[in-house]
Amino acid sequence: MLGAFRSALATPDLRRKILFTLGILVLYRFGTTLPSPGVSYVNVQKCYDQVDQQGIYSLINLFSGGALLQLSVFALGIMPYITSSIIIQLLTVVIPRFEQLRKEGQSGQAKLTQYTRYLTIALAILQATGIVALAVRGQLFAGCTDPVIPDQSVFNLIVVVITMTAGTSVIMWLGELITERGIGNGMSLLIFTGIAARIPAEGGNILNSQGGLVFFVVCVFGLAIICSVVFVEQGQRRVPVQYAKRMIGRRMYGGTSTYLPLKVNQAGVIPVIFASSLLYLPDLISRLTTSTTSEPSGWQQWVAQYLVSQSSWVHISLYFLLIIFFTYFYVSITFNPDERADEMKKFGGFIPGIRPGRPTAEYLRFVLGRITLPGSIYLGIIAILPNLFLDITGQGQNQNFPFGGTAVLIMVGVGLDTVKQIESQLMQRNYEGFLR
Amino acid sequence: MGAFVGRLKARARRLLQRPGSADLSRYEPLVRQAGAREQWAQGLSDEELTEAAGALRESAGGRFGDRDLVELCALGREAARRALDERPYDVQLLGTLGLLTGHVVEMATGEGKTLAGALAAAGYALRGERVHVLSVNDYLARRDAEWMAPVYALLGVSVAWVGQSSTREERRRAYAADVTYGAVSEIGFDLLRDRLCTDVAELVLPEPGVALIDEADSVLVDEARVPLVLAGSAGEVEADRAVSEVVRRLRAEVHYEIDDNRRSVYLTGAGAEAVEAALGGIDLYSDEHAGRLAAVNVALHAHALLRRDVDYIVRDGRVQLISESRGRVARLQRWPDGLQAAVEVKESLPVSRGGEVLDSITVQALVGRYPRVCGMTGTAVAVAEQLREFYGLEAAVIPPNRPCIRVDEPDRVFASVADKEAALVAEVAEVHATGRPVLVGTLDVAESERLARKLTAAGVENVVVLNARNDAEEAAVVAEAGALGAVTVSTQMAGRGTDIRLGGANGADHDEVAALGGLYVVGSGRYPSSRLDNQLRGRAGRQGDPGGSVFFSSMRDELVTGYAPDAEVPGEVADNGEVTGANVAAVVDFAQRVAEGVNLETHRDTWRYSKLVEHQREVLLEYRGRVLREDVAVRLLEQRCAERWADLTEGVGEQEAARVARLVLLHHLDRGWTEHLEFLTDLREGIHLRALAREDPLDEFHRAAIPAFKRIVDQARDQTVETVEKLEWDESGVDLAAVGIRRPSATWTYLVHDNPVGSEQDRVMKWLRSKVASAERSWLRR
Repeated sequence: MLGAFRSALATPDLRRKILFTLGILVLYRFGTTLPSPGVSYVNVQKCYDQVDQQGIYSLINLFSGGALLQLSVFALGIMPYITSSIIIQLLTVVIPRFEQLRKEGQSGQAKLTQYTRYLTIALAILQATGIVALAVRGQLFAGCTDPVIPDQSVFNLIVVVITMTAGTSVIMWLGELITERGIGNGMSLLIFTGIAARIPAEGGNILNSQGGLVFFVVCVFGLAIICSVVFVEQGQRRVPVQYAKRMIGRRMYGGTSTYLPLKVNQAGVIPVIFASSLLYLPDLISRLTTSTTSEPSGWQQWVAQYLVSQSSWVHISLYFLLIIFFTYFYVSITFNPDERADEMKKFGGFIPGIRPGRPTAEYLRFVLGRITLPGSIYLGIIAILPNLFLDITGQGQNQNFPFGGTAVLIMVGVGLDTVKQIESQLMQRNYEGFLR
Repeated sequence: MGAFVGRLKARARRLLQRPGSADLSRYEPLVRQAGAREQWAQGLSDEELTEAAGALRESAGGRFGDRDLVELCALGREAARRALDERPYDVQLLGTLGLLTGHVVEMATGEGKTLAGALAAAGYALRGERVHVLSVNDYLARRDAEWMAPVYALLGVSVAWVGQSSTREERRRAYAADVTYGAVSEIGFDLLRDRLCTDVAELVLPEPGVALIDEADSVLVDEARVPLVLAGSAGEVEADRAVSEVVRRLRAEVHYEIDDNRRSVYLTGAGAEAVEAALGGIDLYSDEHAGRLAAVNVALHAHALLRRDVDYIVRDGRVQLISESRGRVARLQRWPDGLQAAVEVKESLPVSRGGEVLDSITVQALVGRYPRVCGMTGTAVAVAEQLREFYGLEAAVIPPNRPCIRVDEPDRVFASVADKEAALVAEVAEVHATGRPVLVGTLDVAESERLARKLTAAGVENVVVLNARNDAEEAAVVAEAGALGAVTVSTQMAGRGTDIRLGGANGADHDEVAALGGLYVVGSGRYPSSRLDNQLRGRAGRQGDPGGSVFFSSMRDELVTGYAPDAEVPGEVADNGEVTGANVAAVVDFAQRVAEGVNLETHRDTWRYSKLVEHQREVLLEYRGRVLREDVAVRLLEQRCAERWADLTEGVGEQEAARVARLVLLHHLDRGWTEHLEFLTDLREGIHLRALAREDPLDEFHRAAIPAFKRIVDQARDQTVETVEKLEWDESGVDLAAVGIRRPSATWTYLVHDNPVGSEQDRVMKWLRSKVASAERSWLRR
């Protein structure tokens, strides 16, 4: 591994790409800590430490690498872009013009990308305004009395909004730069960086509050989790496929490299995001319906005790079950056995010993069903692990704990992809020792 | 005012580095200076002119300053005037300068691309570089070389051409000339054949210098989708006649289905059962019958997808492929993997020998070998982005000498093919009655013949057909296509390289034809790319002549049904089946854009996957070159089996032994490479499935292909030692055939296609789309 890294740096072309990517990431990190003009850095720090930030922002905060609550230049992070690309994708379903563009290949795609960028800007303005409004009313950090934006003149607020919006455009550009000229997928790497950057701080928290022994145990445990995630993420069932389209005398490589891979974790991180988003809903509703003056009603108390509190067994088991449900749901969308069987049939492929069409679909469904069960349980366990650590971290936010849940799944996923890409590029260039 | 706005626009485009906006205005003063030197050049005798050009060769010393360029233009213009009685226009000289500075220049039809290209080639040659002019086919290569020969002679530059029938010796001589004309496939095959040489003396191609590409968009974009493949015959293939008989009896929709854009065909359940029953109750999908299944699939492909007179013609008892982008017979092309044999069985012809891929090269890699590349075409801007992406070339537009006054009428769209053809025939008959010459451009051979019959039936006399079947008469047909009262029905063959003069070959009735409106071009359907449409339109309106063009399309055209299958009729349908409305061509335009997108994707895929193969080939060729030129094989044997080697040298002499060692090692290297290519084809076929595990198919392809490649050389070395151990010899020499070493006897090229698959995101959207569609349906029902 280290050897591979060294030779990657020894290859000039690859070294340039890696250094370029790292440079961009450093720039990105710098922007996330750079406070927006008009924001009081001192007060923000004070409030940040005071407030228990469990709740609706934590997922957004995760994706922005903690920049959101710092009100920094890159406060909005990559979220507006992700949201906007999802929206544009959804619109291709309902708007015929978009559907046409999608079909036109590259030139149409380029136009859709352009629309995505415009929409990103619009969303960024919206979100920035929302956050600034929350901050001005003191709702961003509930209970913190220090004004995070001391000068509340309209001009100053507009400057903050414009800064954050511009920040998002810059992030978008940085991401595209990485994808184009660097290595790996730019957007994923930016998210990765945001999450990874929090690990030292979280680790520091634990060290300060719990002492060296617990810190050490947590580190070992974290490493073990990451290793096992890396292990499971790479697990796949390979269903052999043959393409009987070519007539060749000697077939010596039959089937060893032609297969249909089914991952143990076929669904990826999406079910966890779905499930946790859904679990925020009761919290959100109860907050919206709560007036500051009256006592919380009975159901609100119940929600706060069992659903919002992440250490309650109701929350944990609900979370777990939702993840299992969404895993099956998402796999059924992304891997439709009938479609796969149909497509294989069209291109002349078949699974040896199994007839194409319905029998093939049945077989794939069977294998998929068998592999999704352990996959979904694995996802559930990884996701609820941090809830079991709540006492140690002393914070009520499971998603942000760097050794579990969404964070570790994203980090490992992006990390593996990037390493694979580096490795593949390295192999392409490295023919040393071939011509002795 | 308009011109000012246009200039402003051009400048803005240039500022944004939009494709197709390279700036040649810097060279306009040079052209003017060349004009000032014209008097001086005219005063020279022929010998003095040649001498002045020769002086350029010395003074330039490999680099041309502005003064040398001016001198070259002046001399070139004078040479062309004397040799061809054609004085190159200023815009032609500008084109020459664009070529000399490494651009792809866009020059409209009839503006004299050939001459501009020849002057540029001469310029490069005088600079001391070796020039290859790559044309689209042998006919044009030879025509241009012979036509321009006097100009080259006056400039003191030697010129030659290579064609399909050239012998090795002729080729070597041709490549020794300063400027060599040749079809891109011909030069590509010479390169591939050189790579399989076993003796230094057999090599043909010199080191690459400059590539000047004629019809650059066709060569660099259309042709680039199909790699050149050198195949060697691998003995008889048994074409499964029993299977062919069974497949012949199958019926569409019941036993097999064809997908929308006619790229694949597959058996239905009922079809599979019918085939199994007919073949004696076997299970096609078990391991043991995999070969049978392949035979069925191949036969089905031959029967259902490949159509006689569209995809191929039968001539002289042989199946000949028709090139999709050019409409000509592709003589050296065959279908791969038993498909050729299946088509031959389908047509009840004797089955030719089967082959295996020895080596292949993409046009991209071929062009990439040349340190300097430039090109010219009538339609460059449309592909400017691709030229930049794939070749790093910039396109520049040369203004026409006289503005084009051709009238392009809006498309006429019909509901059905029958309506379209009836209207087309009526239109042609009406125009023909006035005596105005008409050129009907069709999509395939069958259509051209059908329309010609219909036209004759409608009372149009002297309808001339030009298609792949009678390509020998091409020059004669084209020469008369602009004559008074001519009606020519052609496939895409007439789309390129041909210059239709008004009033026939001698231009006798030019003014009369011009008064009638010039050549009228009628397209019987839009091509899969707007570039090809424009090429056809470009046949009319050359050099400021009048002309007109119109395209007839129908909603049932293959372009529409294949690429916009669920499009709706964009307006009212009149009694004659014509669709009327504001923007009737919108659907056809959309289908065309989709087709262009699909083709671009194919091109990009071909390139992305072949990049690695090109790299591996280079690495292997370097080693092969050393085996060929140095004593690598001898040293290997001395090391690995010294005793045996000593015996051999004693038995047949040192020199012969070295030759044998080289041959054996080369043979195993080439075999290793051939097998590697076969492995890669297999790998490529199923690699798209990896996307299902969120892996990048290209990365996975590399991860599997690279370790396999690294084994080739070691394996070849081991096998060489093994073979030498088994060698037998006597006084007459070493018996190489006994150990299976022989050279392939025939070579040809293959056509290769692809299959794409969507990403995870695409699959989610597809699911959503189907849900929305079904919700819509149930809502409508209520």
